[in-house]
Parts: sequence; structure tokens; C-alpha cells
Amino acid sequence: MQDQIILFLPELFFLLMALVLFGLTLGSGRPKPRRDYYVALVLGAVGLVLTLGSIKAEGHLFFQAYRLDLFSQLFKCFLSFGLFLVICISSRLDDIEERRHPEFYLFLTTSTLGMMLLVSAVELITLFVALELSSYSLYILIPLRKGSSHSTEAGIKFFFIGAMASATMLFGMSYLYGVCHTTYLTGILSSLPAQIHAPGAVIGMVLTLCGLFFKLAVFPFHNWAPDVYEGGTNQVITFIATASKLAGMAILIRLTALTNGSSAYLINLLIVLSMIGMTFGNLVAIKQKDFKRLLAYSSIAHAGYILIGILTMSKLGYSSVIYYALAYLILNFACFMVLITTSEKGKNVAIEDFNGLYSRAPLLAMTLLLGVFGLAGLPPTGGFTSKFLVFIAAIEKGYFWLVVFAMVNVTISLYYYINVVKAAYLNPPAEGSEKIKISVPLRLLNYVVIIIILWLGLYPATLLDRARTAAEAVLAVL
Amino acid sequence: MTDFYEIIRQWPLLSGIQVVTALGLLTVMLVPENRPGLIKKLAAVFSGVDLLICILIFLAYDQEAGGFQFVEKHLWVKALGIHYFNAVDGINLPMILLTGIVLFTGCLTMWELENRVKEFFAFSFLLVLGVFGVFMSMDLFFLFVYYDIALFPMYPLIAIWGSTRKEYGAMKLTLYLLAGSALILPGIILLYVKSGLWTFDIIALSGAEFTPYIQSIGFLLFFFGFGILAGVWPFHTWSPVGHVAAPTSVSMIHAGVLMKLGAYGVLRVGAFLCPEGWVQWADLMAVLAVIGILYGAFVGLAQTDLKYVIGYSSVSHMGIVGLGLSTVTVSGMNGAVFQMFAHGIMTALLFSSVGYIYDKTHTKTTFELGGMSRNMPVISGFFILAALAGVGVPCLASFWAELLVFISAVKVYPVRGILAISGLLISALFMLRVVMKTYYGPANEKYAGLSDVTAWLATPRVILAGVIVFFGLFPWLMLNLIQTATVSFPKVMGF
Repeated sequence: MQDQIILFLPELFFLLMALVLFGLTLGSGRPKPRRDYYVALVLGAVGLVLTLGSIKAEGHLFFQAYRLDLFSQLFKCFLSFGLFLVICISSRLDDIEERRHPEFYLFLTTSTLGMMLLVSAVELITLFVALELSSYSLYILIPLRKGSSHSTEAGIKFFFIGAMASATMLFGMSYLYGVCHTTYLTGILSSLPAQIHAPGAVIGMVLTLCGLFFKLAVFPFHNWAPDVYEGGTNQVITFIATASKLAGMAILIRLTALTNGSSAYLINLLIVLSMIGMTFGNLVAIKQKDFKRLLAYSSIAHAGYILIGILTMSKLGYSSVIYYALAYLILNFACFMVLITTSEKGKNVAIEDFNGLYSRAPLLAMTLLLGVFGLAGLPPTGGFTSKFLVFIAAIEKGYFWLVVFAMVNVTISLYYYINVVKAAYLNPPAEGSEKIKISVPLRLLNYVVIIIILWLGLYPATLLDRARTAAEAVLAVL
Repeated sequence: MTDFYEIIRQWPLLSGIQVVTALGLLTVMLVPENRPGLIKKLAAVFSGVDLLICILIFLAYDQEAGGFQFVEKHLWVKALGIHYFNAVDGINLPMILLTGIVLFTGCLTMWELENRVKEFFAFSFLLVLGVFGVFMSMDLFFLFVYYDIALFPMYPLIAIWGSTRKEYGAMKLTLYLLAGSALILPGIILLYVKSGLWTFDIIALSGAEFTPYIQSIGFLLFFFGFGILAGVWPFHTWSPVGHVAAPTSVSMIHAGVLMKLGAYGVLRVGAFLCPEGWVQWADLMAVLAVIGILYGAFVGLAQTDLKYVIGYSSVSHMGIVGLGLSTVTVSGMNGAVFQMFAHGIMTALLFSSVGYIYDKTHTKTTFELGGMSRNMPVISGFFILAALAGVGVPCLASFWAELLVFISAVKVYPVRGILAISGLLISALFMLRVVMKTYYGPANEKYAGLSDVTAWLATPRVILAGVIVFFGLFPWLMLNLIQTATVSFPKVMGF
């Protein structure tokens, strides 16, 4: 029993954290935003340390429905790291009412908890419940933004499309259950590859994946992304763009591994989705003026690249996606951190608001440059190395032309990424704009982010080895 | 002396170059912005040290032994077979020397820069760090990383300090070149996966047996991917626009060194790793090269902007490199590599001369200038010397290079070879026309009071001119070195 509690410690801690934050929401006196911030920050840091400490945990819980292995633990580390980073940049929550700050942290925490459960779930119902926990928290977070009708609209859109996706997923799962007579992934794996050619199995799998495509904003389930990105509070969107994407990747890996790569139909479907997603995302992103919308479309394109790694369904492919996950988290975070610091009173930031950022805050300009070039996939950033790994996996499996197609897309994407850099480094600052003051902790955070981006780009060895072992863990269980 | 070189060969001098360049970058970044004088001096010192190391390596390279020397190999990522692997042979050593010379003279040329000095030198050092890296790296992963590092600083360098439609030029150049690198990446991974060796080590990969089909696709990707940077027709259009927009020393580095990265890539990665693909596509290469030579020459004929003239002559001259490579012969390759070196120095000299005139007169159109040699005899002399070198006057470095290429081209592709030679005549015509209009003839009174270069500003030009003449008089110093590498190329024919 004690062993099991230790295995479940990080999740328990986040549950506790949620309870503490819930306690803060009950207070009826004057709101104390600084106190809320520090409580969340300290708890987030402890949670991160605990999760890092449990990276080697292995075992099963809850009647084999919950599995701890390097794969799940690695993703949990990423997730709690993501949560911690988002809390770090929430010291100025200008566009959320002060009395709602505890709610903001609370739902971030419950969402993270949901995702942590999600990456460990190896049983369909557990998986579904975890997914819903994480999603519903996000649905509440979007309309928290004050004084914006946009955010309500975005919230409703997000909720409806999300609920639709969940329903579709549940429907798909019922097919899988019907075909395999079990909800346990291990059980499904032992019977699914043999039956994958049966219409019921394929439909079940595809419908189940649809729910996850929604999370990852894979085309054509991307509709929510631009509006939600534009309408939500910057910090909330940072969380959606980083941590929540990771959970999607993790579970996509778990589920596709079930087919053993034996369904050509499924693979072809993924190829098509990936190709359309990349092209659509990149082409539409070119026209965007709002930086968050641009990142939304870029995320649609990135979902396409990630699918390339997933559709290989090989150890190399999965490990490259795990690598991609962390790189993507940190690169997106870099962009959002600059966005939040540059933004006045939590407003949205247009690309032209970055004009002259170089002279207003050189460090932020550097972070933005690395973040954006990383997303574009230029060396020596983590974005390059992760694409490199994904492409190796794809070519190994014989998808050479898909890689060439992806590279053409990368070139298209360069245009809009370079425009961001151009604004920051070449355009003169707007008249009357002042230097941006950066506090010491934020300065430190910037350095940390820059170092991680370069470290992932230039020295992939450490994380790659972990990612490989993690990918083996997924393939071995199942 | 031999003992001394023996000891030198044991030192990790190639990493030394990288470290010095990186230190230059860091030091420049740490100096406060309001001390431009100090920044320029530091830049000169660091680039000078780089040049000295390059010369030292050039002298210490053992030509009798040949092959790869100054080897530094360390495992970087075991899981993927990536090595930190530097080495030089007869092909990249001239290129490294070229980079050292152009960097040093480029830094001196920018002595009068006043606008955002610190960033200028920081970006320049970053660019050259990438260039050195590509030339010395024998691991495809690192080669590609360095390649992109070399490309990206061009954007700010042109867009901030350039002239004439600079933002357009910078964006066009960046997108073209990065599109090229987008072709290279799948090629590299294709070789990595299909070799079955799970390594990015170029030397190890050259021993792998690729099927003709893989070699064919691989070579094509590398040819177009790197070829864009080498200014291969019809993907050259970024080049004149970029040259015209760029500031002087960037044009020097850009036309002098960066375009060589492309040709070097075609040779080192394309021809070396996919020899059968090379042979298969040689015909196409030759056709494109001849079109490039003729096209550059004809369009150059019509230009009135001095930088456009040099830009199109570069397209033409880089066509000669392509023609040399397409012959798949030892002498053709010798000529091509020598031409890369000679053209680098020559173009750097041309741009540095034009840059000086532009700084003083703020114009670079031929019909607004005239009789410049009367007011500025020294700087005019440099331009004329470089122009003569471009035309292929004997006793100047590029004469030997062009001679070798054309001899082998005529042997292998008689018709195309003769057409290419006629292109050279046209380029002679337009170069001489420019010289005549700009430097002789009636002088423009407006510029009568302008002064010629000071001794200090003449120094970089003297160095470049000296190198052209030196290797024109002693071509074998370079050719013998190049030959040690080219004979070992797979599939290459004699003569």
C-alpha cells in the first residue's frame, strides 16, 4: 500500500495543490493576488521537484488501469515543468479579475493533474475520464478573461468543439471495446493488430484518434485554435499551447502503438492529415497580423510535423516525438513569454508591436529570435534537432517524399517566422515606446529558456537516450 | 622546419580557428556599444589571429602524405552516430585559407563603419563561424548546422546595413538559400538511413555502397540544394540582388566566401558521397553551367550599376566552377577548386574597391562616374587588377583555374566548352567597358575633390591583390595541394 502511495505521489501532490488553491478561492475578503501567486509558485515548484524525483518510478496501480513507466514519468515531468513555467510568468495577470486569480491557478492545476493521469492511463475509461478532467478545466479558463466578448465566444467555441470531439472519441472507444471485448490497452493490443482490417476496428481507432486530434489541433479539427488563442488570456493560452499539446502527443503515441503499424489505412489517413495540416497551417499563418493567431496556425502546421513522427509507429519515431514534445514546449513558451512581457495590460500583441524590440529589450528580442527560429526548425535550436529526428524516423520507414514535402513546408513557414524577427530586429520602435523593464527573476527565466533551446539543439544525447528508453517502454508494455 | 610542422600537425588547430572566431564573437558582444573604435580593433585582432592560424595550417599540411590531416574526432551523440569531426584535405584547405583572408580584409575594409558597429561585427563573426564550420566539418550533421548558421546572419547584415532595396534583397536571399537547405536535409538523412552504417561521418559514408537510384536522388538534392548558394542558373536570381543590397564587407564575404560554400557542398557531399549520381547528372550540370556563364556575361553587359556588374560576373564565374565539376576529371576539378579560391579573392577585391568609391561618391552607376583613375589612382588600380584577373589575364590566379577548366571542358564536352569560352570573351568585353567608362574617359567634376584611399585603408586591398598575383605566379603551390584530394575522388577520370 505504501509503495503504491509513493508511486502515486506526484499526482497526489497536485491533487493537494488543487485543494489548497480551492481553499483560496473560498476567501471572501479583499483579493490578495501576490499571495495567490506565491502560493501557486511555491506549490508548482515543489510539484516539479516531486515529479522529477519520481522519474524512475515503475509499476501498476488501480487494477492495472494505471501504468507508471519512463514514458509516463517523462511526460509528467514535462507537464509539471510546463505548469511551473506558466505560473512563473503569471505574476502580472492584468486581464483576469483579482478575485479570480485563485481560480486561474486552481484550474491550471486540475488540468495538469488530468493530463498527468492521462499519460499514465492504460485503460480506455480511465483515459477518457482523465482527458475530460483536463479539458473541462481549460473550458473554464478561457472565458475568465475580463471585459472581452471575444473570450466568451472563444470559450463557447472551444467547449462545443471539445465536447463534440469527446463524444466522437467515446463512440470510437465503444467500437474498440466491441471488437476487442476489453477496455485495457494490453488486451486491445493482443487482439487489435489481427483485426485491424475489419471495418469496426479501423473506424473505432480513427474515431478514437479524432478526439486527440482535437487536442493537438490537427487539421480538420483545428477550427478552435485561432479563435481560442486570440480570445483567451495570454497565460492560459501559453498553457494550452505548451502543456496541453504534450498530453495530446503522449496519448496519441500510446494509442497508435496499439495497431503495431499494421493498418495501412490508418497510416495513409495520417499521412494525408499531416500533409494537409502542414500546408494549411503554414499558408494561412502567412496572412496573420496577430501574434497569437500566427502561433495558432503555426501549431496546426506543427501538428502535421508531429504526425509524421507518429505515423512511423517505430521506436525511433516515437522517441523523436517525445523529443519534439519538450522542444515544442520550450520554444512555444519562449514566444509566449516574450508576448506576455511585451503586452500592455494583458492585451493581444500584433506582430508590429514587436517593432524595435531589439532596442527596447535586447534579451527578450534574443529569446524571441531563438523561439521563432526554433519553431521554424533552424539550427542550432531544439526545433531543428527535433525535426531532424522525426525526419530520420520517417525516411527509415520509407516516407522519403513525405519528408521532402515537409521540408517544402518548412521553407514556406520561414517567411512568416522571419517577419517576426524582422519586426524585432529591423523595424524602428514605435514613437513614444519605452524600454521594457525586465525583473531579475524574469531575466533568469529568459537565460534558462535560451540555454535549454540551445542545449536541445546542440547536444541531444541525454534527452534522446531517455526518449528512446521511454519509447521502448511504450512498445514493450503494449 | 619540418620538425616544427610535425609538431604543429598534432595541435587541434581547426578547433582553434573555431574557438578564436567564437571568442571574437563573444568579446565583441561584451564591449559596450559606445566604443566602436575598440570593437573594430578587437575584430581586426581576432580575424588576424584566425588568418594566421589558417596560414599556419596551409604551410603545415603535408602534401606528400595527402589525405585528411589535422583530424579531430570525438563522439558527440552515440545513439545517432554524430561526431564532432574536423579535418582538412586539398579541397577544403584552400577554402579555409580563403575565408581567413576575406574575413581579415573584410574587417579592415569596414573601418569607417559608424552605424551599429557592435552588431555588425557580431553578426559577421557568427556568419564566418558557420562558414569555417562547413569547410572543416567532416560530419554531415555538423556540416548542416554550420551551413544554416552561416546563412541566417546574412539577413540582418543586408537588411540593416545594406542599400538599394535592402529588405527585399535580404528576404529574397534568405528564402532562396534556406529553400536550398531544405533540399539538403532530406538528402543527408537519406544517405544516413540507406547507408546502414548509422553514422553521419562523411569519410565512413563514402565507403558505403548506395544503390544508383539513391545516389541519383541524393546527388540531385545536393546539387540543387547547395547549388542555389553557388548561384547555379536558374536559381541565381537572389545573388545579384543580394550583392547589390549588401554593404561592402558583407558583399566581400558573401560573394567571396559564401557562394563557395555552395560549390564546396556540391563537391564534398554530392560528388564525394554520390559519385554515380554525379556522373549521371554531369551532363545536366554542364548545360546549366554553360547557360550560367553565357547568361551572366550577357546580362552583365547591359548593367550600369557597378555592383550588378560584379554580381552577374559572379554568376558567370561560378558557372566556370560548375563546368569544371561537371567534367568529372581531375584537371577539371583542380580548376574548379582553384577557381573557387581565385574568384573569392578577386570578387572580394572588386567589391572592396567599389565599396570605397560608393562610400565617397554615394553612387555606383557607371554613367555618373568617370575618370575616377585621375582622382583615385590607387583604388582604381585595385579594381582594374581584379577586373583583369576576372577576364583571365595570365599571371593572375584565375587564369590558371579557367585554363584548366576550359581544357577539360573542351575535351569532355567540345561544343559546350567552346560556348563557355566565348562567354569568357563577352565577360572580358563588359569588364573592360566598365573599366573604361568608370575609371577613364571624361571625369565627373563633382568628384574632383575626393581623396584616394589612405595607406591604412589600402592595406586590405593590397593583401587581396598580393594574393591574386602570388598565386598567379606560383599556381602550383595551390594546384599541388588540390591535386592530393581530387585524385582520390571516386569515379573521377584522369587528365
